[in-house]
Parts: sequence; C-alpha cells; structure tokens
Amino acid sequence: MTLEELEVEVTRLEDIQEIENLERIYGYYFDTRQMDKIVDLFSDNTESVEIESHGKFLGKDGVRKMYLGAVGGGARKPEDTAQSRPRGLMGVITVIIQIGGVITIAPDGKTAKGRWHAWLAESFPFGGVMGQYWLHGYYENEFVKENGKWLFKKLFWNTTFYTRFETGWLVQPLVGFLPMPGADSPPTAFYPYPSGYHFPYSFPHPITGEIDQPVFTYQHPMSM
Amino acid sequence: MATLEELQARIQRLEDIKEIERLQKIYGYYQDYGEWQKIVDLFTDNDPSVEEADRGVYKGKEGVRRYYIDLLGQGMKKPRRPGILSILFQLQGVVTVNPDGKTAKGRWYGFGMEAKPIASLHEGELRQTWINGVYENDYVKEDGKWKIKNLHFYLTFRTPYEDGWLKTPVVGQNGPDPNIPPDAPTTVYAPYPSPYRVPVHFKHPITGV
Repeated sequence: MTLEELEVEVTRLEDIQEIENLERIYGYYFDTRQMDKIVDLFSDNTESVEIESHGKFLGKDGVRKMYLGAVGGGARKPEDTAQSRPRGLMGVITVIIQIGGVITIAPDGKTAKGRWHAWLAESFPFGGVMGQYWLHGYYENEFVKENGKWLFKKLFWNTTFYTRFETGWLVQPLVGFLPMPGADSPPTAFYPYPSGYHFPYSFPHPITGEIDQPVFTYQHPMSM
Repeated sequence: MATLEELQARIQRLEDIKEIERLQKIYGYYQDYGEWQKIVDLFTDNDPSVEEADRGVYKGKEGVRRYYIDLLGQGMKKPRRPGILSILFQLQGVVTVNPDGKTAKGRWYGFGMEAKPIASLHEGELRQTWINGVYENDYVKEDGKWKIKNLHFYLTFRTPYEDGWLKTPVVGQNGPDPNIPPDAPTTVYAPYPSPYRVPVHFKHPITGV
C-alpha cells in the first residue's frame, strides 16, 4: 500500500467519525434549544428537511422555518442577540438519543448517507397540557463535505411512534397530527405504527451487495 | 515513526472494528423489519450457529436458516402479522479483533421496545414490552468481508410495558419449538432475577486479566 492509498483510507475513517459527531451534536443542540446553531449545521445547498408530521421544507430557507419556527419552541425571540443565552421553556425537554449510525461515504468522498435510530424522551405542553412522551423513529440523512467540513444536506426523521408515557405505543401510537405552517409539501411518508412501513435503508447488504427495494403497500387504518 | 507497513496494520485494525460494528448494527435494522433472509446472508457458510434466549442452539448454515426463516419468519410464506413491532437497539459494542485479523468477538446490549404476542411466537394477544439482553458474538473475515460466525443473545428481561422487570421479568418466551427443534439444547438461560452474569470475552484493558 502506498502513502497515497493509506491517506485515502484514513480520510474515510475520519469522515465517518466527523459525521457521527455532526449527528450527535445536532441532537445536543436540539436538547439545549440552540436552534440557530442547528441551522448552521446545514449546507447552504440543503435539499430538504422533514421531521415527524410537520411536512417537508425545502432549501436553507426551509431549514430556518423548521428550526426557528414552532419546532424551536420559542428558542429565539426577535430581541435576542447572537450572545443571548439559549432560551429554555420551563418544563420542556427533548432528549434525543441517536443510536446505531450506519454511514456510507460515496466513493468520491464528497457526499454520504447515514441511518440512525432516534429514541426520545420528551416533555411538551401538547394542547396546553404538559405531558411526558416516548418517541421513536429512523433517520435517513444525507451529508455533503464543503471546504473540508461535513454538513447536513438532507434530514428526514420518519416516525414510528409518538406516545404518552402513561399509555405506550401499542395503546396509542400517535398523540396527534402536527402539521407546521409554511411547509412546502405535506409529509412524504408519514406511516406510524402499526402500518408496518419499511423506511428504505441507504446501505447495501454488507455481503450480497443487494440494494434495498422495499415492497410496501400502505393501508389506511380505516380500510384495514 | 512507524513504517508504512505498521501504519497499514493499525489502520486495518480500526477498519475491521468499524466494519464489525456496522455489520451488527445492520443486523439490528434487518431484525426490526423481520428481514430474515437478509439476516441469514450475514452469516458465514462455514459452520455458523445462533442461539437466542431459551430457544436452543441452531447449528450450521441450514440451522441458521431454519431458525430465522422457518421459526421466526414462519417460512416467509405470508406477510408478518399486522401490529408486530420490533425495535432492538444494538448498543455499546466492545469489539476485539484477534491478532491474525481473521476472527473477532463482540459484546453488545440488545435493548428495545416491542409489540409481540405473548401466548406463542406468532399467535395470541399483542402486548407492548421492554426487552433487554446481552450479545456475545463471534465474527469471521472471508474474502475481505466480516460475517457473523456465532450469535448468542442472552435475555435479561422482556417485560410488559405496564409491569416492569421487577414485577414480570419475562413474557412471551416459551422454550425450544417442538416443530422446528434446535440442533442442541439451550446452553444458558438465566434472565432476571437470576444472579447469572454473561461472561465477558475481553481481557481487562489495564491489567490484561
């Protein structure tokens, strides 16, 4: 192996570690309500961001609408300066545990895709009443390396359940439908439990190399 | 300063660990969706085995196929029962690659949230459960790819959401299947509140014991 080949290998390992950190840092910023810092984790050439049933938001403007709007939960106010402390809301927590990153770097080393679980413990005044919630979903995110730094290019969190602590996913898979104003389109694949939806994997099979081509026919709950 | 060869060996070891972590995490994602054929394809053809909880040991590639396809997948002849949920996080891998770089061992937690029938593997009332257990797995590198050699999941608890592990440590676990029997009996089955602890494969990082 030449020094050049070795450098390629080391760069690939570093790229995976950088993207692991980027994803985790996203979660910590969300947890600590530093939504303006989240916006800066996205490329200016962002494709889209889609979370839960909020709808799909396009481009960097869409990123701002998503994180500085309702999802931000009042993280920033117009009177805040860049130096202001992050604004927490009494009783609101969003613990986003990001698990199981499988990251695939493109051969050219300039883009990447990654799948994670996100498991959340949340408290939020849903409908004006403070509640405690368990959430689960899968991320399939895309990344781009610009000027030597990895950034989000696309973020998609596909919800499995959003349930009350007191009931659980079997009894109440979804506490409600939460569309956000200003979305460019409705949610593109919002099929929580028990739909049986298969959110496609970005990675090929490690041994056979098979590309994921899921067969899924969504049945509306009312037609089941 | 290390030579190019020494550096290459160290980087290879890091890559092997990353590949094995990736393999185990992908195993978890396939299990979530009941993609049993894809899981069988993650095992080596050369004398693999699988043992989970108290279902017994399934040996050889044919045994692995019988366990995942015939038993867990019910032959894959019909779609999975609606309402089944399986989310099993593959957590905290400690992967030890042997010095020859051809075999490895890994320990993981398998922790998750399920909705599964409790009367048998496939029928009966669905319950929502918390599950936790420990993996101690063996891996082998063949043709440059890491594969699963032996998979062993030791169940700690599978408890109804409403009860918790203290009150009801295990539901929905019913011993070896009479119709698709294992090739050998269960080696260890000792869920909570047993004092049994799954032995760790790794040596102490400081003392080497």
